[in-house]
Amino acid sequence: MKMGGVCKIAVVCLFGFGLQGCSGERSALDPAGKEAEELAKLFWIMLSGAGIVWLFVLLATFAAVRFPSSTFAGIRPGLFIFISGVIFPTICLGGLLVHSLRLLPGARDAKADMIVKVSGEQWWWRVSYMSPGGEDVVSANEIRIPSDATVEFELTSPDIIHSFWIPVLGGKMDMIPGRTNHLRLHPEKAGVYRGVCAEYCGTSHALMGFPVVVQTQAEFDAWLKLEKSDAVPPGSPAAINGERLFMSTGCRACHTVRGTEARGQIGPDLTHFGGRKTVGAGILANTSANVEKWLRDTGKVKPAVRMPEFNMLHSGETRDLAAYLTGLK
Amino acid sequence: MTRETETGHNLWRMLAPLTIWALHFLACYVAAAILCAKYPQIADLSPLRHLIFLVTFLAVAGVAYIGFSTLRIWRYSLDGDLDYDHDTPEERHRFLAHVTLMLCALSVIGILYVAIPAAIIGSCR
Ligand code: HEC
Ligand SMILES: [Cu+2]
Repeated sequence: MKMGGVCKIAVVCLFGFGLQGCSGERSALDPAGKEAEELAKLFWIMLSGAGIVWLFVLLATFAAVRFPSSTFAGIRPGLFIFISGVIFPTICLGGLLVHSLRLLPGARDAKADMIVKVSGEQWWWRVSYMSPGGEDVVSANEIRIPSDATVEFELTSPDIIHSFWIPVLGGKMDMIPGRTNHLRLHPEKAGVYRGVCAEYCGTSHALMGFPVVVQTQAEFDAWLKLEKSDAVPPGSPAAINGERLFMSTGCRACHTVRGTEARGQIGPDLTHFGGRKTVGAGILANTSANVEKWLRDTGKVKPAVRMPEFNMLHSGETRDLAAYLTGLK
Repeated sequence: MTRETETGHNLWRMLAPLTIWALHFLACYVAAAILCAKYPQIADLSPLRHLIFLVTFLAVAGVAYIGFSTLRIWRYSLDGDLDYDHDTPEERHRFLAHVTLMLCALSVIGILYVAIPAAIIGSCR
């Protein structure tokens, strides 16, 4: 009875916690796109192959210890080692090499339906969509793509190396200064997923994520049209005061809000900030309270952040700024 | 046929398969890198692929030639046992031949693995 309890706890510890990472919005083993599906399949193939070899070695070891050596008189050791140690692994590895090479992005010659440019910044994501009209639609810290389309990401970085990874959709790809890397993904299931930076890039590397919204083509088209338009003018008195503060306290030197005089390029574009799901590159939910927190404790929320703290503003002012920003749908 | 068992086995015979592998590797990677860097708009290795296949064929043929001639020496040096632990010219030959054969096999595998990406992907991406 007691043993049973202990065993159960052990099982939960070993598998429960271990497997928690294996499902949900950011698991490579719970795929929502073609590439991720193939990777997950490859993982299971390799895992079962390795499992079979492992079992075989265990059984062989057991047999060698358990039975007298005369039992194995029929086996020629040299040949046995040659077959299972040279020929088998060579063929296995060759097969895996061929299979995984086929999975490499670009190996398929599918034509991309759309292009999204993403630049890895310290510590956020600059995003721009090539709209059908030709001009780029600039956004940040969130990626929206239509399901059932092949999307080509053009990845780069101005200064240091990052890596762009949406585990449920496919493999990762480095963002290297001075280079443009191409990554093709084909999402299949609508939903909200999570992307991360997968290459250590500095203090706030772990605080550099982004939501990924996969939606139907129609929803996506409507969203892109909205994203392309200029910012909506503030509605409430608080938001109007917030806009005034935004222009007068220096925010506009770093941030762009299209349709206003804010044209800064250092920080993320905030034109439709209110329509995004998160604050601070995927780390806080986008609520007024969190925007205020971001403005007051920027460096605590995200160490080494490249935005100054505005804790000299009093609470009424941060509240108005938050009202303005969250209203930018 | 008489054979000078006293003279040393030429060590180059043993190193040749590895050398061919290394040269083949260099030739393939350097050629592909230059082509992809100079003509990124091609994004396609086709002009090079045939060259890579040819070089691969030559490399494998070279290693095979060394392998088969080594096999002859190895057979020649069989005197009923497979030992090579003793300090005799005859066993030294057998040992070196054995090592050379193994290296030939390894090199062929290496060369083919180097060529597989060109065969399957055939693009600069
Ligand atoms: C010196 C340049 C600079 C100034 C001035 C600045 N910011 Fe920022 N801001 C940044 C950078 C850089 C980031 C991205 C930080 C990160 O996530 O690592 C950022 C991020 C933000 C975000 C989060 C955006 C997102 O998509 O998650 C908000 C909101 C924001 N700033 C608002 C403001 C406001 C309001 C002001 C003025 C009170 C301001 N910023 C002033 C550089 C600046
Ligand atoms: Cu990083």
